[in-house]
Amino acid sequence: MSATEPVTEPIIRMERVTKNFGTLQALREISLHVHPGEKVVIIGPSGSGKSTLLRSINRLERIDSGHIFVDGQDITDIRNDINKIRMEVGMVFQSFNLFPHKTALQNLTLAPMKLRKIPRAEAEANGLRLLRKVGIEDKASVYPSRLSGGQQQRVAIARALAMNPKIMLFDEPTSALDPEMIGEVLDVMVTLAREGMTMVVVTHEMGFAREVADRVVFMDQGEILEDRPPQVLFQQPSHPRTQKFLSQIL
Amino acid sequence: MKEKSVINITDGAAIPLKKDPGLFSAWRIAFFGSLSVLAYLLLSRPKPYVDILKFLPDGILVTFQVTFCSIFFALFLGLITGIGRISRNRLINAIASTYVEVVRGIPLLVQLFYIYYALGRFVRVPDIVAAVIAMSFCYGAYMGEVFRAGIESIDKGQMEAARSLGFNPSQSMFYVILPQAWRTILPPVGNEFIALLKDTSLVSILAVADLLRRGREFASETFTYFETYTLIALIYLLITLILSKLVSIMEERLRYYERH
Ligand SMILES: Nc1ncnc2c1ncn2[C@@H]1O[C@H](COP(=O)(O)OP(=O)(O)O)[C@@H](O)[C@H]1O
Ligand SMILES: [Mg+2]
Repeated sequence: MSATEPVTEPIIRMERVTKNFGTLQALREISLHVHPGEKVVIIGPSGSGKSTLLRSINRLERIDSGHIFVDGQDITDIRNDINKIRMEVGMVFQSFNLFPHKTALQNLTLAPMKLRKIPRAEAEANGLRLLRKVGIEDKASVYPSRLSGGQQQRVAIARALAMNPKIMLFDEPTSALDPEMIGEVLDVMVTLAREGMTMVVVTHEMGFAREVADRVVFMDQGEILEDRPPQVLFQQPSHPRTQKFLSQIL
Repeated sequence: MKEKSVINITDGAAIPLKKDPGLFSAWRIAFFGSLSVLAYLLLSRPKPYVDILKFLPDGILVTFQVTFCSIFFALFLGLITGIGRISRNRLINAIASTYVEVVRGIPLLVQLFYIYYALGRFVRVPDIVAAVIAMSFCYGAYMGEVFRAGIESIDKGQMEAARSLGFNPSQSMFYVILPQAWRTILPPVGNEFIALLKDTSLVSILAVADLLRRGREFASETFTYFETYTLIALIYLLITLILSKLVSIMEERLRYYERH
Protein backbone atom coordinates (compact mmCIF):
# COMPACT_ATOMS: atom_id res chain seq x y z
CA MET A 1 0.00 0.00 0.00
CA SER A 2 1.06 3.59 0.31
CA ALA A 3 3.82 2.61 2.72
CA THR A 4 5.60 0.79 -0.05
CA GLU A 5 4.56 3.06 -2.90
CA PRO A 6 4.25 6.61 -1.62
CA VAL A 7 2.76 8.24 -4.68
CA THR A 8 0.98 10.88 -2.62
CA GLU A 9 2.29 13.66 -0.42
CA PRO A 10 2.24 12.66 3.25
CA ILE A 11 -0.77 14.15 5.08
CA ILE A 12 1.20 14.04 8.33
CA ARG A 13 4.88 14.81 8.17
CA MET A 14 6.91 14.93 11.39
CA GLU A 15 10.50 16.07 10.93
CA ARG A 16 13.09 15.66 13.71
CA VAL A 17 10.57 16.44 16.42
CA THR A 18 11.77 16.78 20.01
CA LYS A 19 9.73 17.39 23.10
CA ASN A 20 11.04 17.74 26.64
CA PHE A 21 9.20 17.79 29.94
CA GLY A 22 11.78 19.53 32.09
CA THR A 23 14.83 17.31 31.83
CA LEU A 24 12.86 14.36 30.51
CA GLN A 25 13.12 13.81 26.76
CA ALA A 26 9.66 12.58 25.80
CA LEU A 27 10.35 12.70 22.04
CA ARG A 28 13.84 12.53 20.56
CA GLU A 29 14.26 13.53 16.94
CA ILE A 30 11.11 11.76 15.79
CA SER A 31 10.46 11.65 12.07
CA LEU A 32 7.30 10.02 10.81
CA HIS A 33 5.33 10.28 7.59
CA VAL A 34 1.74 9.19 7.20
CA HIS A 35 0.11 9.16 3.77
CA PRO A 36 -3.58 9.72 3.07
CA GLY A 37 -5.55 6.57 3.77
CA GLU A 38 -2.74 4.94 5.71
CA LYS A 39 -3.29 3.27 9.06
CA VAL A 40 -0.37 3.50 11.42
CA VAL A 41 -0.42 1.71 14.76
CA ILE A 42 1.99 2.87 17.46
CA ILE A 43 3.04 0.44 20.15
CA GLY A 44 5.59 0.59 22.93
CA PRO A 45 5.99 0.40 26.69
CA SER A 46 4.27 2.80 29.02
CA GLY A 47 6.02 6.16 29.19
CA SER A 48 7.75 5.69 25.84
CA GLY A 49 6.18 8.85 24.39
CA LYS A 50 3.27 7.42 22.36
CA SER A 51 0.68 9.84 23.73
CA THR A 52 3.04 12.76 23.46
CA LEU A 53 3.69 11.95 19.79
CA LEU A 54 0.00 11.63 19.03
CA ARG A 55 -0.93 14.79 20.94
CA SER A 56 1.78 16.79 19.22
CA ILE A 57 0.10 16.11 15.86
CA ASN A 58 -2.83 18.39 16.78
CA ARG A 59 -0.68 20.55 19.05
CA LEU A 60 -2.24 19.48 22.31
CA GLU A 61 1.47 19.25 23.16
CA ARG A 62 3.75 21.92 21.82
CA ILE A 63 7.02 20.59 20.55
CA ASP A 64 10.42 22.09 21.36
CA SER A 65 12.10 21.63 17.99
CA GLY A 66 11.46 20.14 14.58
CA HIS A 67 8.45 20.55 12.34
CA ILE A 68 5.07 18.92 11.96
CA PHE A 69 3.12 19.39 8.75
CA VAL A 70 -0.53 18.41 8.75
CA ASP A 71 -2.26 18.50 5.39
CA GLY A 72 0.52 20.70 4.09
CA GLN A 73 0.43 23.23 6.92
CA ASP A 74 3.20 23.66 9.45
CA ILE A 75 1.37 23.48 12.78
CA THR A 76 4.37 24.85 14.65
CA ASP A 77 4.05 28.08 12.65
CA ILE A 78 1.90 30.36 14.80
CA ARG A 79 0.64 32.18 11.71
CA ASN A 80 -1.36 29.07 10.80
CA ASP A 81 -4.72 28.89 12.56
CA ILE A 82 -4.44 25.81 14.77
CA ASN A 83 -8.20 25.73 15.35
CA LYS A 84 -8.82 25.36 11.61
CA ILE A 85 -6.25 22.57 11.43
CA ARG A 86 -7.75 20.78 14.44
CA MET A 87 -11.14 20.73 12.71
CA GLU A 88 -9.56 18.37 10.18
CA VAL A 89 -7.99 16.10 12.82
CA GLY A 90 -10.33 14.02 14.97
CA MET A 91 -9.07 12.77 18.31
CA VAL A 92 -10.31 9.93 20.50
CA PHE A 93 -9.09 9.77 24.09
CA GLN A 94 -8.56 6.87 26.44
CA SER A 95 -10.98 8.47 28.90
CA PHE A 96 -13.65 9.32 26.27
CA ASN A 97 -14.05 12.94 27.49
CA LEU A 98 -17.63 13.21 26.33
CA PHE A 99 -19.41 16.40 27.35
CA PRO A 100 -21.51 15.27 30.33
CA HIS A 101 -23.97 18.16 30.08
CA LYS A 102 -24.93 17.20 26.53
CA THR A 103 -26.85 14.21 25.22
CA ALA A 104 -25.14 11.77 22.89
CA LEU A 105 -26.60 13.54 19.87
CA GLN A 106 -25.75 17.00 21.23
CA ASN A 107 -22.18 15.83 21.74
CA LEU A 108 -22.11 15.17 18.01
CA THR A 109 -23.83 18.34 16.84
CA LEU A 110 -22.13 20.97 19.03
CA ALA A 111 -18.90 21.44 17.07
CA PRO A 112 -20.39 21.15 13.54
CA MET A 113 -23.07 23.72 14.40
CA LYS A 114 -20.76 26.20 16.13
CA LEU A 115 -17.62 25.77 14.06
CA ARG A 116 -18.80 24.67 10.62
CA LYS A 117 -22.02 26.69 10.91
CA ILE A 118 -24.10 23.72 9.81
CA PRO A 119 -27.85 24.24 10.42
CA ARG A 120 -29.30 22.27 13.33
CA ALA A 121 -31.53 20.01 11.24
CA GLU A 122 -28.65 19.01 9.00
CA ALA A 123 -26.25 18.55 11.92
CA GLU A 124 -28.79 16.36 13.72
CA ALA A 125 -29.49 14.26 10.65
CA ASN A 126 -25.78 13.74 10.19
CA GLY A 127 -25.37 13.04 13.91
CA LEU A 128 -28.06 10.37 13.84
CA ARG A 129 -26.47 8.81 10.78
CA LEU A 130 -23.16 8.58 12.65
CA LEU A 131 -24.80 7.18 15.79
CA ARG A 132 -26.40 4.52 13.59
CA LYS A 133 -23.01 3.81 12.09
CA VAL A 134 -21.50 3.19 15.53
CA GLY A 135 -24.57 1.17 16.52
CA ILE A 136 -26.22 3.32 19.18
CA GLU A 137 -28.83 5.36 17.37
CA ASP A 138 -31.33 4.48 20.11
CA LYS A 139 -29.21 6.33 22.70
CA ALA A 140 -29.31 9.66 20.87
CA SER A 141 -31.13 11.52 23.63
CA VAL A 142 -29.30 9.86 26.53
CA TYR A 143 -26.68 11.63 28.65
CA PRO A 144 -23.18 10.09 28.74
CA SER A 145 -23.46 9.10 32.43
CA ARG A 146 -26.16 6.60 31.41
CA LEU A 147 -23.99 4.93 28.79
CA SER A 148 -21.57 2.04 29.26
CA GLY A 149 -17.87 2.65 28.62
CA GLY A 150 -18.05 0.99 25.23
CA GLN A 151 -21.05 3.07 24.24
CA GLN A 152 -19.36 6.26 25.46
CA GLN A 153 -16.27 5.56 23.41
CA ARG A 154 -18.38 4.88 20.32
CA VAL A 155 -20.14 8.20 20.82
CA ALA A 156 -16.72 9.83 21.21
CA ILE A 157 -15.61 8.37 17.89
CA ALA A 158 -18.82 9.56 16.26
CA ARG A 159 -18.31 13.03 17.78
CA ALA A 160 -14.90 13.26 16.15
CA LEU A 161 -16.28 11.98 12.83
CA ALA A 162 -19.08 14.55 12.91
CA MET A 163 -16.53 17.23 12.01
CA ASN A 164 -15.75 15.22 8.89
CA PRO A 165 -12.00 15.09 9.60
CA LYS A 166 -9.30 13.97 7.21
CA ILE A 167 -7.30 12.26 9.94
CA MET A 168 -8.30 10.35 13.06
CA LEU A 169 -6.00 9.99 16.07
CA PHE A 170 -6.73 7.36 18.73
CA ASP A 171 -4.90 7.29 22.07
CA GLU A 172 -5.44 3.86 23.62
CA PRO A 173 -9.17 3.97 22.90
CA THR A 174 -9.90 0.61 24.50
CA SER A 175 -7.56 0.69 27.51
CA ALA A 176 -10.17 2.07 29.91
CA LEU A 177 -12.84 -0.44 28.85
CA ASP A 178 -14.04 -3.63 30.46
CA PRO A 179 -12.84 -6.55 28.29
CA GLU A 180 -16.31 -7.41 27.01
CA MET A 181 -16.68 -3.92 25.52
CA ILE A 182 -13.39 -3.76 23.65
CA GLY A 183 -14.75 -5.64 20.64
CA GLU A 184 -17.59 -3.24 19.89
CA VAL A 185 -15.18 -0.29 19.80
CA LEU A 186 -12.59 -2.09 17.68
CA ASP A 187 -15.33 -3.11 15.24
CA VAL A 188 -16.17 0.55 14.68
CA MET A 189 -12.50 1.34 14.13
CA VAL A 190 -12.08 -1.53 11.67
CA THR A 191 -15.07 -0.27 9.68
CA LEU A 192 -13.60 3.19 9.63
CA ALA A 193 -10.29 1.82 8.43
CA ARG A 194 -12.01 -0.12 5.61
CA GLU A 195 -13.66 3.12 4.47
CA GLY A 196 -10.22 4.59 3.85
CA MET A 197 -9.81 6.93 6.82
CA THR A 198 -6.28 8.01 7.63
CA MET A 199 -5.67 6.71 11.14
CA VAL A 200 -2.91 6.90 13.72
CA VAL A 201 -3.71 4.56 16.57
CA VAL A 202 -1.89 4.00 19.85
CA THR A 203 -3.06 0.63 21.10
CA HIS A 204 -2.02 -2.64 22.66
CA GLU A 205 -4.60 -4.56 20.64
CA MET A 206 -2.25 -6.59 18.46
CA GLY A 207 -5.14 -8.30 16.68
CA PHE A 208 -6.35 -4.91 15.50
CA ALA A 209 -2.83 -3.96 14.41
CA ARG A 210 -2.49 -7.18 12.38
CA GLU A 211 -5.87 -6.73 10.77
CA VAL A 212 -5.82 -3.08 9.71
CA ALA A 213 -2.36 -1.54 10.10
CA ASP A 214 -0.28 -0.72 7.07
CA ARG A 215 2.63 -0.03 9.39
CA VAL A 216 3.37 -0.67 13.03
CA VAL A 217 5.69 1.75 14.77
CA PHE A 218 7.53 0.61 17.88
CA MET A 219 8.55 3.36 20.28
CA ASP A 220 10.79 3.22 23.31
CA GLN A 221 12.20 6.03 25.43
CA GLY A 222 11.07 8.76 23.08
CA GLU A 223 12.48 7.13 19.94
CA ILE A 224 11.03 5.21 17.03
CA LEU A 225 12.98 1.96 16.96
CA GLU A 226 11.04 0.17 14.23
CA ASP A 227 8.53 1.11 11.57
CA ARG A 228 7.40 -1.89 9.51
CA PRO A 229 4.35 -3.66 8.15
CA PRO A 230 2.72 -5.69 10.94
CA GLN A 231 3.54 -9.14 9.62
CA VAL A 232 7.24 -8.25 9.42
CA LEU A 233 7.37 -6.54 12.81
CA PHE A 234 5.47 -9.25 14.64
CA GLN A 235 7.26 -12.17 12.93
CA GLN A 236 10.82 -10.86 12.81
CA PRO A 237 11.31 -7.91 15.12
CA SER A 238 14.82 -6.72 14.41
CA HIS A 239 15.47 -4.74 17.55
CA PRO A 240 16.03 -6.61 20.83
CA ARG A 241 13.82 -4.16 22.72
CA THR A 242 10.98 -4.83 20.28
CA GLN A 243 11.44 -8.56 20.81
CA LYS A 244 11.35 -8.08 24.56
CA PHE A 245 8.24 -5.89 24.41
CA LEU A 246 6.39 -8.27 22.09
CA SER A 247 7.26 -11.28 24.20
CA GLN A 248 5.75 -9.53 27.22
CA ILE A 249 2.58 -8.44 25.54
CA LEU A 250 1.67 -11.36 23.26
CA MET B 1 -12.97 14.52 38.81
CA LYS B 2 -11.25 16.38 41.58
CA GLU B 3 -12.97 16.26 44.90
CA LYS B 4 -15.75 18.77 45.03
CA SER B 5 -14.31 22.08 46.11
CA VAL B 6 -15.88 23.82 49.06
CA ILE B 7 -15.63 27.48 48.34
CA ASN B 8 -16.14 29.82 51.23
CA ILE B 9 -14.47 33.11 50.58
CA THR B 10 -16.26 35.58 52.81
CA ASP B 11 -18.78 35.23 55.57
CA GLY B 12 -22.19 34.81 53.99
CA ALA B 13 -24.81 33.60 56.38
CA ALA B 14 -24.81 30.14 57.89
CA ILE B 15 -26.51 28.08 55.21
CA PRO B 16 -29.05 25.73 56.73
CA LEU B 17 -28.83 22.18 55.45
CA LYS B 18 -31.31 19.41 56.06
CA LYS B 19 -28.60 17.07 57.26
CA ASP B 20 -27.57 19.61 59.91
CA PRO B 21 -30.60 19.77 62.19
CA GLY B 22 -28.97 22.06 64.74
CA LEU B 23 -28.44 24.80 62.23
CA PHE B 24 -31.77 24.10 60.61
CA SER B 25 -33.67 24.73 63.81
CA ALA B 26 -31.38 27.66 64.56
CA TRP B 27 -32.63 29.16 61.31
CA ARG B 28 -36.23 28.59 62.42
CA ILE B 29 -35.65 30.11 65.82
CA ALA B 30 -33.95 33.14 64.31
CA PHE B 31 -36.51 33.62 61.57
CA PHE B 32 -39.71 33.15 63.50
CA GLY B 33 -38.19 34.78 66.57
CA SER B 34 -37.30 37.96 64.72
CA LEU B 35 -40.67 37.96 62.96
CA SER B 36 -42.42 37.72 66.34
CA VAL B 37 -40.29 40.43 67.89
CA LEU B 38 -40.98 42.66 64.88
CA ALA B 39 -44.73 42.06 65.10
CA TYR B 40 -44.72 42.59 68.86
CA LEU B 41 -42.87 45.90 68.62
CA LEU B 42 -45.09 47.23 65.85
CA LEU B 43 -48.29 46.28 67.65
CA SER B 44 -47.37 47.13 71.21
CA ARG B 45 -45.52 50.39 70.55
CA PRO B 46 -46.72 51.71 67.19
CA LYS B 47 -45.64 55.25 68.10
CA PRO B 48 -41.97 55.17 67.20
CA TYR B 49 -41.83 51.79 65.45
CA VAL B 50 -44.48 52.18 62.74
CA ASP B 51 -43.12 55.66 61.96
CA ILE B 52 -39.60 54.27 61.64
CA LEU B 53 -40.77 51.43 59.44
CA LYS B 54 -42.59 53.82 57.11
CA PHE B 55 -39.38 55.80 56.71
CA LEU B 56 -37.25 52.84 55.64
CA PRO B 57 -38.58 51.34 52.34
CA ASP B 58 -36.62 53.82 50.19
CA GLY B 59 -33.48 52.73 51.98
CA ILE B 60 -34.26 49.03 51.51
CA LEU B 61 -34.70 49.72 47.81
CA VAL B 62 -31.32 51.43 47.60
CA THR B 63 -29.68 48.58 49.50
CA PHE B 64 -31.07 46.13 46.95
CA GLN B 65 -30.09 48.35 44.04
CA VAL B 66 -26.49 48.56 45.24
CA THR B 67 -26.47 44.82 45.92
CA PHE B 68 -27.82 43.78 42.54
CA CYS B 69 -25.72 46.19 40.51
CA SER B 70 -22.59 45.24 42.44
CA ILE B 71 -23.17 41.50 42.14
CA PHE B 72 -23.74 41.88 38.40
CA PHE B 73 -20.43 43.64 37.81
CA ALA B 74 -18.66 41.51 40.39
CA LEU B 75 -19.74 38.36 38.52
CA PHE B 76 -18.46 39.79 35.27
CA LEU B 77 -15.17 40.86 36.86
CA GLY B 78 -14.97 37.56 38.71
CA LEU B 79 -15.31 35.53 35.51
CA ILE B 80 -12.47 37.45 33.88
CA THR B 81 -10.36 37.27 37.04
CA GLY B 82 -10.99 33.56 37.52
CA ILE B 83 -9.96 32.81 33.95
CA GLY B 84 -6.98 35.12 34.33
CA ARG B 85 -5.87 33.30 37.48
CA ILE B 86 -5.62 29.99 35.59
CA SER B 87 -4.20 31.52 32.43
CA ARG B 88 -0.84 30.23 31.28
CA ASN B 89 -0.05 33.73 30.02
CA ARG B 90 2.25 35.01 32.75
CA LEU B 91 1.29 38.65 32.42
CA ILE B 92 -2.47 38.02 32.58
CA ASN B 93 -1.97 35.61 35.43
CA ALA B 94 0.15 38.10 37.35
CA ILE B 95 -2.37 40.90 36.91
CA ALA B 96 -5.31 38.75 38.03
CA SER B 97 -3.44 37.29 41.00
CA THR B 98 -2.18 40.67 42.14
CA TYR B 99 -5.67 42.09 41.96
CA VAL B 100 -6.96 39.31 44.19
CA GLU B 101 -4.10 39.69 46.67
CA VAL B 102 -4.50 43.45 46.91
CA VAL B 103 -8.24 43.32 47.40
CA ARG B 104 -7.95 40.59 50.02
CA GLY B 105 -5.37 42.56 51.95
CA ILE B 106 -7.30 45.80 52.35
CA PRO B 107 -10.39 46.18 54.54
CA LEU B 108 -13.52 46.78 52.50
CA LEU B 109 -14.24 50.03 54.32
CA VAL B 110 -10.80 51.38 53.44
CA GLN B 111 -11.31 50.30 49.81
CA LEU B 112 -14.63 52.08 49.74
CA PHE B 113 -13.13 55.32 50.99
CA TYR B 114 -10.13 54.98 48.73
CA ILE B 115 -12.04 54.31 45.52
CA TYR B 116 -14.58 56.96 46.40
CA TYR B 117 -11.97 59.68 46.86
CA ALA B 118 -9.57 58.43 44.18
CA LEU B 119 -12.43 58.41 41.72
CA GLY B 120 -13.50 61.86 42.92
CA ARG B 121 -10.17 63.31 41.84
CA PHE B 122 -10.85 62.50 38.19
CA VAL B 123 -14.59 62.33 37.63
CA ARG B 124 -17.66 63.48 39.42
CA VAL B 125 -20.00 60.49 39.65
CA PRO B 126 -23.09 60.07 41.82
CA ASP B 127 -22.34 58.58 45.22
CA ILE B 128 -24.29 55.45 44.46
CA VAL B 129 -22.24 54.82 41.31
CA ALA B 130 -19.01 55.20 43.27
CA ALA B 131 -20.38 52.81 45.85
CA VAL B 132 -21.25 50.21 43.21
CA ILE B 133 -17.83 50.54 41.59
CA ALA B 134 -16.09 50.03 44.92
CA MET B 135 -18.25 47.06 45.94
CA SER B 136 -17.85 45.45 42.50
CA PHE B 137 -14.09 45.92 42.60
CA CYS B 138 -13.85 44.21 45.94
CA TYR B 139 -16.31 41.41 45.32
CA GLY B 140 -14.96 40.85 41.80
CA ALA B 141 -11.84 39.49 43.45
CA TYR B 142 -13.81 37.16 45.72
CA MET B 143 -15.91 36.04 42.76
CA GLY B 144 -12.68 35.45 40.85
CA GLU B 145 -11.73 32.84 43.41
CA VAL B 146 -15.16 31.24 43.14
CA PHE B 147 -14.91 31.04 39.35
CA ARG B 148 -11.35 29.77 39.49
CA ALA B 149 -12.30 26.95 41.84
CA GLY B 150 -15.38 26.16 39.74
CA ILE B 151 -13.42 25.99 36.50
CA GLU B 152 -10.66 23.96 38.11
CA SER B 153 -13.22 21.44 39.33
CA ILE B 154 -13.85 20.40 35.70
CA ASP B 155 -11.69 17.55 34.41
CA LYS B 156 -8.98 18.85 32.11
CA GLY B 157 -9.92 16.27 29.49
CA GLN B 158 -12.99 18.40 28.80
CA MET B 159 -10.89 21.34 27.66
CA GLU B 160 -8.72 19.00 25.57
CA ALA B 161 -11.74 17.42 23.92
CA ALA B 162 -13.14 20.83 23.06
CA ARG B 163 -9.82 22.13 21.74
CA SER B 164 -9.25 18.97 19.68
CA LEU B 165 -12.57 19.57 17.90
CA GLY B 166 -11.35 23.03 16.88
CA PHE B 167 -12.93 25.26 19.53
CA ASN B 168 -10.71 28.17 20.54
CA PRO B 169 -10.08 28.78 24.25
CA SER B 170 -13.01 31.13 24.83
CA GLN B 171 -15.45 28.98 22.85
CA SER B 172 -14.31 25.97 24.89
CA MET B 173 -14.87 27.92 28.08
CA PHE B 174 -18.28 29.13 26.97
CA TYR B 175 -19.74 25.96 25.42
CA VAL B 176 -18.03 23.25 27.44
CA ILE B 177 -16.43 24.33 30.73
CA LEU B 178 -18.75 26.98 32.19
CA PRO B 179 -21.99 25.06 31.52
CA GLN B 180 -20.52 22.31 33.71
CA ALA B 181 -18.88 24.57 36.28
CA TRP B 182 -21.99 26.56 37.20
CA ARG B 183 -23.23 23.87 39.56
CA THR B 184 -20.09 24.24 41.64
CA ILE B 185 -20.13 28.00 41.28
CA LEU B 186 -23.76 28.77 42.07
CA PRO B 187 -23.94 27.97 45.80
CA PRO B 188 -20.86 30.04 46.76
CA VAL B 189 -22.13 32.84 44.52
CA GLY B 190 -25.34 32.80 46.56
CA ASN B 191 -23.23 32.97 49.68
CA GLU B 192 -21.23 35.91 48.36
CA PHE B 193 -24.46 37.61 47.42
CA ILE B 194 -25.61 37.52 51.04
CA ALA B 195 -22.25 38.72 52.30
CA LEU B 196 -22.34 41.53 49.78
CA LEU B 197 -25.82 42.59 50.82
CA LYS B 198 -24.65 42.90 54.41
CA ASP B 199 -21.52 44.73 53.38
CA THR B 200 -23.53 47.32 51.46
CA SER B 201 -24.36 48.81 54.86
CA LEU B 202 -20.84 50.26 54.68
CA VAL B 203 -21.81 52.49 51.77
CA SER B 204 -24.01 54.52 54.08
CA ILE B 205 -20.77 56.22 55.05
CA LEU B 206 -20.46 57.53 51.48
CA ALA B 207 -23.72 59.46 51.69
CA VAL B 208 -25.64 56.74 49.87
CA ALA B 209 -29.16 56.61 51.26
CA ASP B 210 -29.33 52.89 51.90
CA LEU B 211 -31.26 51.16 54.67
CA LEU B 212 -28.73 52.01 57.37
CA ARG B 213 -28.32 55.63 56.30
CA ARG B 214 -32.07 56.20 56.16
CA GLY B 215 -32.33 54.82 59.64
CA ARG B 216 -29.56 57.05 60.91
CA GLU B 217 -31.24 60.10 59.39
CA PHE B 218 -34.52 59.26 61.08
CA ALA B 219 -32.89 58.53 64.41
CA SER B 220 -30.88 61.73 64.56
CA GLU B 221 -34.00 63.78 63.96
CA THR B 222 -36.24 61.99 66.43
CA PHE B 223 -33.62 60.76 68.92
CA THR B 224 -34.99 57.21 68.68
CA TYR B 225 -31.58 55.62 68.19
CA PHE B 226 -32.26 52.43 70.09
CA GLU B 227 -35.62 51.77 68.48
CA THR B 228 -34.38 52.56 64.96
CA TYR B 229 -31.31 50.35 65.14
CA THR B 230 -33.38 47.55 66.64
CA LEU B 231 -35.64 47.68 63.63
CA ILE B 232 -32.77 47.93 61.15
CA ALA B 233 -31.02 44.94 62.66
CA LEU B 234 -34.26 42.95 62.45
CA ILE B 235 -34.77 43.89 58.83
CA TYR B 236 -31.22 42.93 57.80
CA LEU B 237 -31.59 39.70 59.71
CA LEU B 238 -34.89 38.81 58.04
CA ILE B 239 -33.54 39.57 54.57
CA THR B 240 -30.39 37.49 55.00
CA LEU B 241 -32.34 34.65 56.61
CA ILE B 242 -34.70 34.52 53.65
CA LEU B 243 -31.82 34.67 51.18
CA SER B 244 -29.84 31.97 52.97
CA LYS B 245 -32.93 29.78 52.87
CA LEU B 246 -33.17 30.32 49.13
CA VAL B 247 -29.50 29.41 48.72
CA SER B 248 -29.99 26.23 50.72
CA ILE B 249 -33.01 25.26 48.62
CA MET B 250 -30.92 25.87 45.51
CA GLU B 251 -28.13 23.69 46.91
CA GLU B 252 -30.57 20.89 47.64
CA ARG B 253 -31.86 21.10 44.10
CA LEU B 254 -28.36 20.95 42.65
CA ARG B 255 -27.52 17.98 44.84
CA TYR B 256 -30.68 16.26 43.67
CA TYR B 257 -29.74 17.09 40.10
CA GLU B 258 -26.28 15.63 40.55
CA ARG B 259 -27.62 12.36 41.89
CA HIS B 260 -30.07 11.89 39.06
N1 LIG C 1 2.46 16.93 31.07
C1 LIG C 1 3.57 16.22 31.40
N2 LIG C 1 4.44 16.71 32.29
C2 LIG C 1 5.57 16.04 32.60
N3 LIG C 1 5.89 14.85 32.09
C3 LIG C 1 5.06 14.30 31.20
C4 LIG C 1 3.85 14.96 30.82
N4 LIG C 1 3.21 14.18 29.91
C5 LIG C 1 3.99 13.08 29.75
N5 LIG C 1 5.09 13.16 30.52
C6 LIG C 1 6.18 12.16 30.56
O1 LIG C 1 6.64 11.96 29.25
C7 LIG C 1 6.92 10.60 29.03
C8 LIG C 1 6.11 10.09 27.87
O2 LIG C 1 4.75 10.10 28.24
P1 LIG C 1 3.60 9.57 27.30
O3 LIG C 1 3.74 10.18 25.98
O4 LIG C 1 2.32 9.78 28.02
O5 LIG C 1 3.94 8.02 27.22
P2 LIG C 1 3.02 6.82 26.73
O6 LIG C 1 1.77 7.38 26.16
O7 LIG C 1 3.85 6.07 25.78
O8 LIG C 1 2.76 5.99 27.96
C9 LIG C 1 6.60 9.87 30.33
O9 LIG C 1 7.81 9.70 31.03
C10 LIG C 1 5.69 10.81 31.05
O10 LIG C 1 5.86 10.69 32.43
MG1 LIG D 1 -0.25 7.16 26.75
